[in-house]
Amino acid sequence: MNENETQLKIQALVDGELTGREAEELRARLESDGGLRALHARLTAVRGLMAGAELPRTLPESGDFHWSQISKAIGHGEREARRLAKPALGANWLLRWVMPLAGVACLVLVLSRQQTTMPDLNILLGGDHELELTDDEIDVMTFNTGDDAISIVWLDYSIDLQQDSLQLWLD
Amino acid sequence: MSVSRDNPPMNRFTVFVALLLFVSSGYVTAQADPITVQAWLVLGSSKEQKDKMEVPADIKKKLARVFKWMHYYQLNSKQLNIADATTKTTKLSKTASIKVTNRKNCKIAVSLYSKGKMLVQKTQTLRPGSYMVLAGNTGTDSAWFIVLSKDK
Repeated sequence: MNENETQLKIQALVDGELTGREAEELRARLESDGGLRALHARLTAVRGLMAGAELPRTLPESGDFHWSQISKAIGHGEREARRLAKPALGANWLLRWVMPLAGVACLVLVLSRQQTTMPDLNILLGGDHELELTDDEIDVMTFNTGDDAISIVWLDYSIDLQQDSLQLWLD
Repeated sequence: MSVSRDNPPMNRFTVFVALLLFVSSGYVTAQADPITVQAWLVLGSSKEQKDKMEVPADIKKKLARVFKWMHYYQLNSKQLNIADATTKTTKLSKTASIKVTNRKNCKIAVSLYSKGKMLVQKTQTLRPGSYMVLAGNTGTDSAWFIVLSKDK
């Protein structure tokens, strides 16, 4: 046993931490070794001085209380992690149904507004006008003037303007 | 609480009169009065043509407001007296003619024929002072117009 270990043993003896057999052996050595006996005496004196000067410290709560608090905190953290990993039922329903439906409704609204909003070209189309074409190859454009005084049907067609001579004679 | 028995016959009579008025008014409005339609065949041109007669000033003014041509010449003019629910046909040029039908509710239907073939039929309410115009371009820098108006 080296010197350091011997000193620690003497320290343990002073603190009353050695078992009976070890304590007996060390006490036997103290009888024969003056240096160790002096060390033991010095440590015993220091312990005597500190025993009176040390302030008693008591914990406000027992150790079990602190352990239970730590256990609770760990459990709460685990539950919070599980809640964040899986969205809530309400939010899930909102994401699955309400958001796509709102998107479709917005799209329908935009498309319907585009269909009903006509550009203002100062051309009025009368509600009681009916047009019937017999030749699909003729391009036709129809419009009313702003004051609704003239309704015009423009045909991409050239008619013969030459007058009937017999008709002219009859007129 | 007693209920008067005098009112029901009166109420029935009132309803009967109201129904009669309603039906007769509908019958009257469904009828079409005889109308007089004026039709002009017009040539629109950017060049002045002194040998041709210009259209009436009000027609020229209305056409010039819409179309680009400066001069509008009357090639033919016809007046059609059309009885209720009947059709009249008139020839405006060698190959072009119109068929005008007097329909109910102040509506007229005008069919344009070229070389015996119907090109288009336009139906609309034509009020006095307003015009129905069937038009198209010709081969040169000019256009043809058939202008129809209803007399007051």
